[in-house]
Amino acid sequence: MRNQTHTPDPITVQVIGASLVTIAEEMGAVLRRASYSTNIKERSDCSTALFDAQGKLVAQAENMPIHMGSMTGLIDALRASELSVRPGDVFLTNDPYRGGGTHLPDLTMVKPVYVRGEAEGPDGEGDGELVGYSANIAHHSDIGGRVPGSNAGDSDSLFQEGLRIPLVRFATADGVEQAPLAFVELNSRLPHERRGDMLAQLASVEVGERQLREVHRRYGTKTVHAATAHLLDHSAKRLAAALHEVPDGTYRFSDLMDPAPDDGAATGADSGSGTRIEVAVTVDGDRVALDFAGTGPQAPVGINVVRPALEATVYYALKAVLDPGIPPNGGFFDAVGITAPEGSIVNPREPAPVTARTDTCQRVADVVLGALAAALPDRVPAASHSTVTYVTFSGEHEDGFFVYPEVVAGGGGARTTKDGMDAVQVHITNSSNLPIEALEQEYPLLVDTYELIPDSGGAGTHRGGLGVRRDVRVLGDGAEFSAHADRQATRPWGLSGGLDGSPGRFVVNPGRDGERQLPGGRLSGVRLRRGDVLRVESPGSGGFGEPAARDPEQVREDLRNERITARAAHDLYGLGRASDPGRQ
Amino acid sequence: MLRIGIDVGGTFTDVTALDTADGRFHIHKLPSTTEDQSVAVAEGVRAILRRTGAAPGDVGYLGHGTTVATNTVLESDGARTALVTTAGLRDVLEIGRQQRPDLYDLDADKAPGLVPRSLVHTVAERMTAQGTALVPLSEEDADAVVDRLRTADPEAVAVCFLHSYRDDAHEREVVERLRAALPEAYVCASADVAPVFREFERFSTAVVNAYVGPRINRYMSRLAERIKATGVPVRPKVIGSSGGMMSLESVARYPVSTLLSGPSAGVVAASHVAGQAGFGNLITFDMGGTSTDVCLVRDGQALVSTQRRINGRPVRTPSLDIHTVGAGGGSIARVDPGGALEVGPASAGSQPGPAAYGRGGDQPTVTDANVLRGRLNPQYFLGGALAVDHEAAGRAVDRVAEAMAAGREMAARGIGRIASVNMAGAVRKVSVEAGEDPRGYVLVAFGGAGPLHAVEVAREVGMSTVVVPPNPGTLCALGLLVTDIRAEFARAVLAQADERNAEKLDEVLREAHDSARGWLAAEAPPGAETRVTGEARMRYARQNFELSVPLPERVIDTARFGSGAVAEMVASFHEQHTKSYGYAHADARVQIVEIQLTAAAVVDKPDLPSVEAGSDPDEALVGRREVDFDETGPLDTPVYERAGLRAGTELPGPAIVEQLDTTTVITPDATALVDAYGNLIIEVEQR
Repeated sequence: MRNQTHTPDPITVQVIGASLVTIAEEMGAVLRRASYSTNIKERSDCSTALFDAQGKLVAQAENMPIHMGSMTGLIDALRASELSVRPGDVFLTNDPYRGGGTHLPDLTMVKPVYVRGEAEGPDGEGDGELVGYSANIAHHSDIGGRVPGSNAGDSDSLFQEGLRIPLVRFATADGVEQAPLAFVELNSRLPHERRGDMLAQLASVEVGERQLREVHRRYGTKTVHAATAHLLDHSAKRLAAALHEVPDGTYRFSDLMDPAPDDGAATGADSGSGTRIEVAVTVDGDRVALDFAGTGPQAPVGINVVRPALEATVYYALKAVLDPGIPPNGGFFDAVGITAPEGSIVNPREPAPVTARTDTCQRVADVVLGALAAALPDRVPAASHSTVTYVTFSGEHEDGFFVYPEVVAGGGGARTTKDGMDAVQVHITNSSNLPIEALEQEYPLLVDTYELIPDSGGAGTHRGGLGVRRDVRVLGDGAEFSAHADRQATRPWGLSGGLDGSPGRFVVNPGRDGERQLPGGRLSGVRLRRGDVLRVESPGSGGFGEPAARDPEQVREDLRNERITARAAHDLYGLGRASDPGRQ
Repeated sequence: MLRIGIDVGGTFTDVTALDTADGRFHIHKLPSTTEDQSVAVAEGVRAILRRTGAAPGDVGYLGHGTTVATNTVLESDGARTALVTTAGLRDVLEIGRQQRPDLYDLDADKAPGLVPRSLVHTVAERMTAQGTALVPLSEEDADAVVDRLRTADPEAVAVCFLHSYRDDAHEREVVERLRAALPEAYVCASADVAPVFREFERFSTAVVNAYVGPRINRYMSRLAERIKATGVPVRPKVIGSSGGMMSLESVARYPVSTLLSGPSAGVVAASHVAGQAGFGNLITFDMGGTSTDVCLVRDGQALVSTQRRINGRPVRTPSLDIHTVGAGGGSIARVDPGGALEVGPASAGSQPGPAAYGRGGDQPTVTDANVLRGRLNPQYFLGGALAVDHEAAGRAVDRVAEAMAAGREMAARGIGRIASVNMAGAVRKVSVEAGEDPRGYVLVAFGGAGPLHAVEVAREVGMSTVVVPPNPGTLCALGLLVTDIRAEFARAVLAQADERNAEKLDEVLREAHDSARGWLAAEAPPGAETRVTGEARMRYARQNFELSVPLPERVIDTARFGSGAVAEMVASFHEQHTKSYGYAHADARVQIVEIQLTAAAVVDKPDLPSVEAGSDPDEALVGRREVDFDETGPLDTPVYERAGLRAGTELPGPAIVEQLDTTTVITPDATALVDAYGNLIIEVEQR
C-alpha cells in the first residue's frame, strides 16, 4: 500500500474506476467460459457487477440493458435479511419479488467481500472489514414450472412459472452447500446444466472477490472508498449535465399494450383495448422523476414488470436519450425517482406472473422516450418495433421431443437525422437469431422466407426501419407453435409528422387454402400439420418528420432497393406526381 | 542470396533484407505512397539493393505485408458488388444477427451492406441441411439473373446459396455462367471462400472477398510489374491474416485472407524474436498512431480465430486472434461532462497528427503528453525528420488542464495514465478470454509507440517482464522473412463423431488432403521442407460453439480416419473441453463440425544477429533530461542511444532509450538488461 492518501487525485479515481469495470468484465468472461448452457455461453444472457459496502452499484458489465442495476435488489435483500454473513459466504436467490432479478429463470448470486486492515495483518484474527459485494445474474434455460424452458407467457401465477428460491446460503469458506444445489437440480428438467451454470456463477463471483481485494490491497481501502464515492458522484454529474439541456417541466406520454385475445380484440378489430402504460416525466434541475400513475392494472398473464425490471428499463431509456456514456452506477440511479401505483402492471402484487415481462418493458421504454420527445424534439427517435417477438416451435423429432425458440427483430425507430435501422433488436434486449443452417440441421423445420417487409417502416422525412418476415415450414407431425409478442393490435408511432410503422402478425399458410391470421401475439399450443407454414411478421417502426419533406433521391433509392413499393412512393411521398420536385 | 521483407504501413514502408551469405540484416524506411502502395515497395527494393550493393538477380525471396484490403473496407472504396442468393432469403446480409452495435447509443448504425439491395438477385434453388437438392437450380432464373447482371455490369459478384457448404453444385454452376457472361467481373462462390456453415457469416465473408477482390487484384498486378521492372527475378509473396505467406494466385482467389496482412507479420516476428530470447508465452503489444494491436502467443503459437469482424462485418477465414483498441499516439484526450478525463477513441491520425507535429493539430494527444513529460525527445521526432512543436503541445494539453482545473503537468500525466489503463484492459482481455493468467506471459512491445508505454501497461496488468526487440519500428518487415508459406483447407463435416461415419469423414478428409497436397506441389519452393497438420472443430450436439482438436498424425499421413482415430479425437475433445471450460459431458453426443488441414512449406528461420558484449552503459549515454513518471513526478533521467548498448549491459530505471524508430521508457521501479541479441529485457517491480 504505497498510496496512503485518502483523497485520491482525479486520475487515480479514474484508474480505480477502470480497474473495477475491468473486474466486472473479467467476471463476465469467467461466467461465460465456465457455464454449460448456450443461453449463457453463446447468447451472453448474463451480467456481472461490483457493489460498494453500502450496496451501491459501482461497476457493471451488462450484456442486455434489462440487467442494468437489476442486482441492486439482491444486495438490499441480503443486507436486510436475518441470515448471518461470514467471510467466504455466497448467497443465491431468484425470486423477483425478493431481490432475485426480473423473472424466475434469472438466478442471482452474491459474495460479500472482506478485507483485513493493516492492524489485523493479512493473516490476522477477525473477519476484517466488509468492503463491497461481487455479484452476477444469469438466465438459466429451465427452472421448473409448467412448461419446458420456464418461459411461457400465459401462466396465471408465479407458482406456475417455476421454482422460487428465497435468499439462501449457496457456499461458505468451506465450499458449496450441497442442499440448495441438489434442490435446484431436482426441480429443473436439465439438472446437469443447472449444476454447471450455478458453479460457473460461483467461479465468477469468486474472481470478482479476489480482484476487488487486490484493488484494495494495492490502493488502500480508504482510498478505494473515497474513489468509489467520486465515481458515483461522477455519474450523477454526467446525468445533471445532460439534464441541464432539458427544459424543466413535466412531460406525459401513454401507449397501449395489445389486448389479450379474450378481451375480444383478436385481430386488431375495433373492440376492447389493452393495458395502458402511462408516465409523467418531471425534470427539475439536476433531478428527474418518473411517475407511472394512470398505468393499468396487473395482468393475469406473465407480462407484469417487477421493480428491478422497471428500474432497468427507465435507466436504459434515460441513458440512451440523455447521455449514452453515463457509467451505470448507483450515483446515476440515486438521482432518478420512480413511482408506480401498487397493483399496476409495472408494480404488481405477488404472486403475479412475470416471465414475459419484456414486452411490457419495451412499451415502458416507448413511453419514457415519447415523453422525452416533447422535451427534446431534436433528439428522440420515433417508436421502434418495441416488442420481443418470441416464438417457439415444438414437436416430435427422430430423437425425441424438440423445442426451438427464436426471437425475431423488427424495425428501429427513425432518428431525427436519419432513417431507422431495419431488422434490429431494440431497447432492453439485444439477442441474436439462430442461423437457418443451424436450425435446419437440428429441427424438422425449413425456413422458406427470411426477408425485410417493404413499406413496413413508417413514412417520414426519415423513414422508419423495416420489420422482418420469416416463414417456417413444418416437416414433421405433431408440431405446435407458441409465442409472446406485442404491437399486433397497435402501431409503432411516428413523430413530428412521420407516419406509424406496420404492426406485426402471425399467419398460418399465407397465400394458400386455409390461410388464417392467429388471434394476437400471446398464444400457446397452436397445432401445425406436416407441410404447414407459419409466417411471423415483426412490426416496422415509426417515421420521423413529414414524408413530403423526404429527399426525393432517398425516395427513389428506397424504391430501387424495394424498401418501399411504387405505390407508397407515389401516395406517401408524391414521387411521380406533377409536384414531384425531383421530376425531370 | 538476398531475402527481402517489405511491410507497408499507413505512414512508412519498411524494408528488411537478410544477406544469407553473411547472415547480416539491413533495414530501410521510406514514406508510404498511399495512392499506390507498390510505388514505395519498388522504390524500397531499389534502395536496399543500392545499400547492400547486391544485384537484382541476387534476390531469392520477396515477402510483402499490405493494408490494401483493410483500407478498401475501412474507406468503403471497394468494387460495385452484386449478390446472387437463394430465393426467399434475399436479406440474410441485411438482417445479419439482428443485433444493434451499441446498447445505448440510438444513433449508432449496423455496418451498412456492401451490396445495395437492388443488386441482390435471387434464384429458385434449395439444398437441405443433408445436402439434397429439394428444389433444383432454376435454369430460367439463372438465365434471367445473368441477363440482369449483364445490364447492371457490376465489378464483382458473390454467389451465396443456403447449405452450399454441404453441396456447392448450384453455386458452381451459377459462377460458371457468370464468368462466361461477365468476363471482366470478379466472381466468387461462398463455399469456395469459406466452406463452413452458418449462412450470415459465410455470405458475409464471400461478399467482403468480392468487394475487395478487384482492387487487390489491380494492386497485385501493378506490384508484380513494378517488382519485375526492378530486375528482381522472384514474384512477391504476401502474408495472410493467419500468419502464413500466400502466392499472388492465392491472393487473387482469396483476397479476403489479406485483411490482417500487416498486423499478422508483427505477431510472427514478435514470436520469433521472443522465442530466440527464450520466451514462448507472450502477448504482443503493437502500438501505433491510431490503435494498438494485442495478440496472445502460447508456446510459440499465436492464437487463431475464425470469428473476426471487419468494420462490423463477419469474416470467417482463419486469422490470428489480434485484438485492436483505439488507443495510439494520436488518440485525443478530452474531459467529459462529468469532469473525467477520457483518452480516445477519437484520433488525430497522421493528418494533422498530434499538436507537437506542428501541422495545425490543436487537440491534445497521447504524443503531446509524452513530449511535455520529457519521454519523447524534446527537439525532434524520428531521429530528426520532424521538429517538435513544444509550444503547440503545451497549448493543446492546457485545454484539458483547464477543464480539469489542474496544471499542465498533472494533465499530461493524467493522459499518459489513462492511456496505459486503456491498453492494459486490452491485454487483460486477450488473456482472460483465452483462459490464461497474463502474469505467466511476457509483453513484447513494438510499433512506434509500444516501448513508450509497455512498462506501465505491464505493471498495471501484473506482468513482470517486457521485451523490446532491437528494431521495434520495423519488426513487421522482419516477420516477412520468418513466415512459412501456408494455406488452410477447411471443410464442413457436420456429422456425429462416430466410427460409423468413417466413410463420410474419409471422403471429406481425402478431398481436403488432395487440395492441400496439390497446393504444396504448386507453391512450395523446390527442396523446402513441407508439412500438413490438421484439426477438427468439434462440439457437443446442439452446442453452438466449437473447440479445435488436433487430428492424429496417422490420420493426416494416410488421409483416412481408420480404426480408433475417431474415439481418440472424442477423448481429446472431452479433455480440451475440461481444460477450456472446467467440465466435460462424458456421455453426451459429440459432433465434428469442420475439419481443417493446414499445409506449410517451412522457411529457414535466420538466426538473429547478436550484439557485441560490454557492460558500461555510459558508452551509450547521450544526455540527461527531466522526465515525468507516474509515481515519482519529474526525475533527472539519463538518455541512452540504443545503437550504443552492448549485450550484458544493465540499465536501472529511470532511463530513456532512444532510437530512430521508437523510444523506450524504463520507469524508476524497472531495470533493463540488454540480451545477446540486443533485446531490452525489462524487469518490472510489482506493487
